[in-house]
Amino acid sequence: MTALAVIASEVREAVSKETMNNIDKKIISLLAQDIPLVERPFEALASKLGTQEAELIKKLKAYKKSGQMRKLAAVSNHRKIGFKYNAMVVWNIPEDKSEKTGEIMATFNGVSHCYQRSKFQGWKYNLYTMIHGKTKKECFDLAAKIAKKTGFEDNMVLFSSKEYKKTGVKY
Amino acid sequence: MVKKQRSLSAIDKKIINRLQRDIPFVKKPWSAIARELEIDEARLLKRIGLLKKIGVIRRISATFNPQKVGFTSTLVAAKVASRDIDKVAKRINAYEEITHNYKRDSEYNLWFTLVARSKNRISQVLREIKRDNKEIKKLVNLPAKRLFKIGVKFKV
Repeated sequence: MTALAVIASEVREAVSKETMNNIDKKIISLLAQDIPLVERPFEALASKLGTQEAELIKKLKAYKKSGQMRKLAAVSNHRKIGFKYNAMVVWNIPEDKSEKTGEIMATFNGVSHCYQRSKFQGWKYNLYTMIHGKTKKECFDLAAKIAKKTGFEDNMVLFSSKEYKKTGVKY
Repeated sequence: MVKKQRSLSAIDKKIINRLQRDIPFVKKPWSAIARELEIDEARLLKRIGLLKKIGVIRRISATFNPQKVGFTSTLVAAKVASRDIDKVAKRINAYEEITHNYKRDSEYNLWFTLVARSKNRISQVLREIKRDNKEIKKLVNLPAKRLFKIGVKFKV
């Protein structure tokens, strides 16, 4: 990144922070945590925030619409619902083909995350896909299918052998 | 090594599949979901409570796009001697900015994600981690250049 691009990205960060007021920050921080299993959870949360239920619901709809909120949903334990294996499959894709290839990878149901990151010295991989399977074989099979569809076979399948932490974000 | 998979009832499966999509933004969201699943609300709440208790559901919460709410995120790869990895992972976990941390069997064997208020904070945390963990032989910060997909949904 050039110095100017760095400055531009810092400015963008600062701007997006300013457009969020204190109540938004409080809502985001609270909603990123577990929501209560009571008949009217938004009323309970609103009272914690010192706001009204209707106001909170309006805010949630607005965050969803703006893309600030991806979803308000259950986070399940993959292993406990049968998806025992998660693999980060890293791919060596020519930079000029990475956008097109990433888009193809994203179309696979078994791919939950797909990102492009920089290659670095001693590391030729630039696309990262997270895949989940009931068996290791399922993961390898999916990687093979992706390779076939994209035409790029140079990958490494990195299973997680230990989960040290998986938690929500502390906003 | 791994505990035998607890088998989930048909209704639990329906609940899990449904709850991986948005909870409706209405006054009584559980009641709305109960109607969709054709069970009563009390039973739904009881089943969800149980699924949380046995750890099938970790939590029900909002997921934000960090970049759109004034935060920034990254993935970090580290090379650690295998005898030190548990110890190092535990120290790293102490930072609340670390959200995921996995051991993966490869040359880079520790992979963790960070979400923080600024790029400066991320750099600071990474400097501290390097300073306090001499066992880390190499550490690479890999912020995403492009996001193609994010959306975990498991059909059970």
